[in-house]
Amino acid sequence: MNGLLAADLSGNIGTWVAALTTIAVWSYLVGGRTLFRHLQHLLAGMGTGYLALIALREVLVPRLVLPLVNDPADNPLLLLALIGCAVLAGAAWLPRRVVAPVAAVMVGTTAAFALGGAVVGTLLPQVAGALLRPSAGMSGLIDGLVALAITILVLVAFLRGTPEGRLTGRAATLGRWLLIGGIGGWLGFLLVSRLALLVDRLGYLLGDWLGMIR
Amino acid sequence: MPAIGLFVLLAAAILLPKGSEGALRMASPDRTRVDQMRSLVAGLDKGAFVLVDFDPDIGTYPEIRGAVRALFDDLAARDASVAVVSFTPEGRALAVAELARLERLRAAGAGILQPLDLGFVAGSEAGLVRAVEIMVPASASGPIADSVRAGGGGIGAFALAVIVSGGDLGARSWVEQVGPRLPDLPMAAIAPTFLEPELAPYLRSGQLRALLATLREGTAYAESVPGGDAPRDRPIAPLPMLVGMLVALGALAAAAFAGAAGQMSPPAAPERGA
Repeated sequence: MNGLLAADLSGNIGTWVAALTTIAVWSYLVGGRTLFRHLQHLLAGMGTGYLALIALREVLVPRLVLPLVNDPADNPLLLLALIGCAVLAGAAWLPRRVVAPVAAVMVGTTAAFALGGAVVGTLLPQVAGALLRPSAGMSGLIDGLVALAITILVLVAFLRGTPEGRLTGRAATLGRWLLIGGIGGWLGFLLVSRLALLVDRLGYLLGDWLGMIR
Repeated sequence: MPAIGLFVLLAAAILLPKGSEGALRMASPDRTRVDQMRSLVAGLDKGAFVLVDFDPDIGTYPEIRGAVRALFDDLAARDASVAVVSFTPEGRALAVAELARLERLRAAGAGILQPLDLGFVAGSEAGLVRAVEIMVPASASGPIADSVRAGGGGIGAFALAVIVSGGDLGARSWVEQVGPRLPDLPMAAIAPTFLEPELAPYLRSGQLRALLATLREGTAYAESVPGGDAPRDRPIAPLPMLVGMLVALGALAAAAFAGAAGQMSPPAAPERGA
């Protein structure tokens, strides 16, 4: 059974919609800009609607409104959160001195969590892990030294302005090439991810929709 | 049209019968990471509580879908008590679809995993930090929810956390925010290939206990897990991937040659009268 002749009607319609939408998106490759633009709008609209729905159903109503309605005395912090939400929602109309503190608390808190986590969870453990230890043996020592050299060269490449001195200039050039090599490697990983998606989608059309793959 | 040519090539490679792939295999022959994941799951006590953070990205989920479904089979074989939570709206949408799939299969009579749905937790990293203390929503009920509440109600009540990554908030956020707060909680991750360079250092430093971050590792893991009652996905075939990579390499080489030829060609003669 395939999407052309599915057992259930919902599966049939769903497969057809998915298949036709996929083909319509791909029409961009042969110059079908209008259809592609309409589908972009559809995706943006559906995404916004979905976000609004999830915010209402899974966050605002069960975790903010209901606790406040049922037991306001036990949830004073939620009242502050509600006021914060109202201020941010009305940011376009409210005076800047009212909106700024709320926005500052939100941005500051997010930055504090991100920065604190990056230092405690990534920077320190990774520095500790990169320390050269004699117990790692010769290969571990060579690995560590190569990593150290690459790190220093790339950091030199980030020096602001024209590096002074021939040695520093060459190190910065080498660092830039290493950086480009790293970005190239990462793009290779990205290519595999996207290619897998394309192959999977083609497999969906040929298999699930047209039933050409057993 | 080069794009149409690529599509035709890939379609032809997909439609070729299985035997024509010869020695090509998608599964990685290096089983180190697969063994790490399998032994992590095998080391769980029967009925252990496992938290699956479902935060993949719609654009890359097909790449890891097979590994994620194999993980559910692996956990079911251990009789693990699984709870699913999401910290991104996109992850929540995919989690709902995956939970609905499991529900449909169970309704059809398959004896498979019945995870507790912990829903969506808002607040990004702040929400993740809060979930360390409290995560089970008031509406959640059942034996798993009661046991997690009895264990504190937060991430610390679980014996293992598996992070399905790909979205804005993934394994790196878990390592940074949850790792320092719950150092004894083993964490593992399943991620698409493009996250491999970002997550591999955490595996080397021991902050992640297991990581499946390439298509080949995911396929090898899916092949290593005995199939449960649920039908498995059609795996991504190696031949179209190889064809796609060769086309990409060809395009890269052509661009490099064109660039080099452009540099070597003599500058255009100045126009008369200029």
